[in-house]
Amino acid sequence: MFKQYKWQEVVTAYAFLLMALLLAVLFIVLPIGKAINYSFTDYYLLKPHERQFIGFDNYQRIFTDDLFRKTFLNTVKFVVFVVPIQLTMALVLALIVNRKVKGVEFFRTAYFSPAVLSLVVISILWTVLLNPDSGLINEVLTALGLSPQPFLTSSSQAMYTIVMISAWSGCGYQMMIFLAGLSNIDSSQYEAAELDGCGSLRKFRYITLPGLKPITMFLVITTTIQAFKLIVQPMVMTGGGPDYSTMTILQYIYEYGYRHRNIGYASAITVVFTVFLIVVSVLIKKLFREEKA
Amino acid sequence: MKVIRKTAFYIVASLIALQFLVPMVWMILSSFKIDSVIYRDISTIYAVVPRFGDLTLKSYQELLSMYNVFRNVLNSLIYASVTVLAGLTVNSLAGYALARFHFPFKNAILLFIIALMIVPVEAIILPLYLVVHELGMINTLAGYLIPFFVNVMNIFLFRQHFLSFPEELIEAAKVDGLTEFGSYWRIVVPASLPMFVSVGILTFIGSWNDFLWPVMAITKSDLMPVQVALNAIFSDTYNIFTSHMMAALTIVTIPIIVLYALFQRHIIEGAVRSGIK
Repeated sequence: MFKQYKWQEVVTAYAFLLMALLLAVLFIVLPIGKAINYSFTDYYLLKPHERQFIGFDNYQRIFTDDLFRKTFLNTVKFVVFVVPIQLTMALVLALIVNRKVKGVEFFRTAYFSPAVLSLVVISILWTVLLNPDSGLINEVLTALGLSPQPFLTSSSQAMYTIVMISAWSGCGYQMMIFLAGLSNIDSSQYEAAELDGCGSLRKFRYITLPGLKPITMFLVITTTIQAFKLIVQPMVMTGGGPDYSTMTILQYIYEYGYRHRNIGYASAITVVFTVFLIVVSVLIKKLFREEKA
Repeated sequence: MKVIRKTAFYIVASLIALQFLVPMVWMILSSFKIDSVIYRDISTIYAVVPRFGDLTLKSYQELLSMYNVFRNVLNSLIYASVTVLAGLTVNSLAGYALARFHFPFKNAILLFIIALMIVPVEAIILPLYLVVHELGMINTLAGYLIPFFVNVMNIFLFRQHFLSFPEELIEAAKVDGLTEFGSYWRIVVPASLPMFVSVGILTFIGSWNDFLWPVMAITKSDLMPVQVALNAIFSDTYNIFTSHMMAALTIVTIPIIVLYALFQRHIIEGAVRSGIK
């Protein structure tokens, strides 16, 4: 059956692919297998020889674990707020700088610039800026006649603060992708609409928005998945507090599995979380397709 | 009417630009002040406008006497460079094989790569840690770096790129006596340089900015990359003043700002490309 192949070409191809396949199996497939395997055990990293098979106990525990439920709801809260806020900001920015005037490149660069900073730098910088006693932001608020806010030190405000910082740092990237989408819309459509007497609002509603739909779907999926994986900002800014109000699923896995070495239970959460993320991205895709039909 | 619209654009766009630039300007400016000056200026315009009499390198001197930040910068430069070179090699070769050669199980391998693109890497960071731990490679450079040489997204991007590479060029090279690897190395790579540069720059920035994996894989302070060191400095609230912290943030950010200034077009093109395909 392999007659149609030239053996020399086959050998070359596999030589070219070897490293990538080996590394992908070792560092992507094998970890997934291990997570599934350990999720059915009570593996404690410091006592590997006492590892025992305990069936579905870890999975049952997930559904009765109040702290897990809290971290799940925290994460959902972050996603529900950050995705629409960040994407709306990105779209508005893209519409503002989608014109050919002098200096527009400067504005694009400025809006995109936080996207190249590291999350650690952004998190530390904003923690200092938002310091309730001496931070720049509260000084500005006071100067404007508003009352200073506790921000990251309040369990009711901390997560929303992280939402705003994340949207601030990430929207420039999505703006660039929206800009690419806008430049793909056929300009003759706008000209035809103008001849028909359409105002800018109607042009936006009937040409721009539908034209951006495929890119919007892509951005909703990637931003949602990215948002579910929130960890660096709370790790650096709040450590998950105050009162666990900013602890996310990924941070919970990190705390249980890495800090407390409780591999069995953390592996079960890893499996559930990974499957959950894959299901979410498939569901969003379906949702957009159905709306299209 | 046109003038009004144009003026409105510049005013609105500038006000928005301030929201993005003020925090960074404040960071850099504050790194050249002492704390008492930072907090004296904080409610005035001088928080973000320099007065040259106030500027000093004191915070940098003090920071560097307490922490060997340059060591961490050097570590990160090495880690990021190795990741870029190895990553470009591994992923472009794989992408090239998938684009150009005919071999058994080609479609199965391609499907495998695409399936792995759905796997959220951060979500499986704990079992990845376990694999490296069981190999005895925690706190080694091999254990820290090798897992992130392969990037299935980049394999796919390289494949898409090489699919449209003109076949005649490669055939001509083979007529001239080059091997498959020879024609890849001498013809295909040079002709695809912009692609390699933009994937390489994004890989570099990603590696430089990475935090979660190094926090788990590296616990020895002399091996720490910059982001982990930054977090350690930030936690040292007894000794560290705001000016020291801003100096540390500035040191870590400067290489990225330089890269961004030099390769802005590549970075944005690369970001959009990996975003759209």
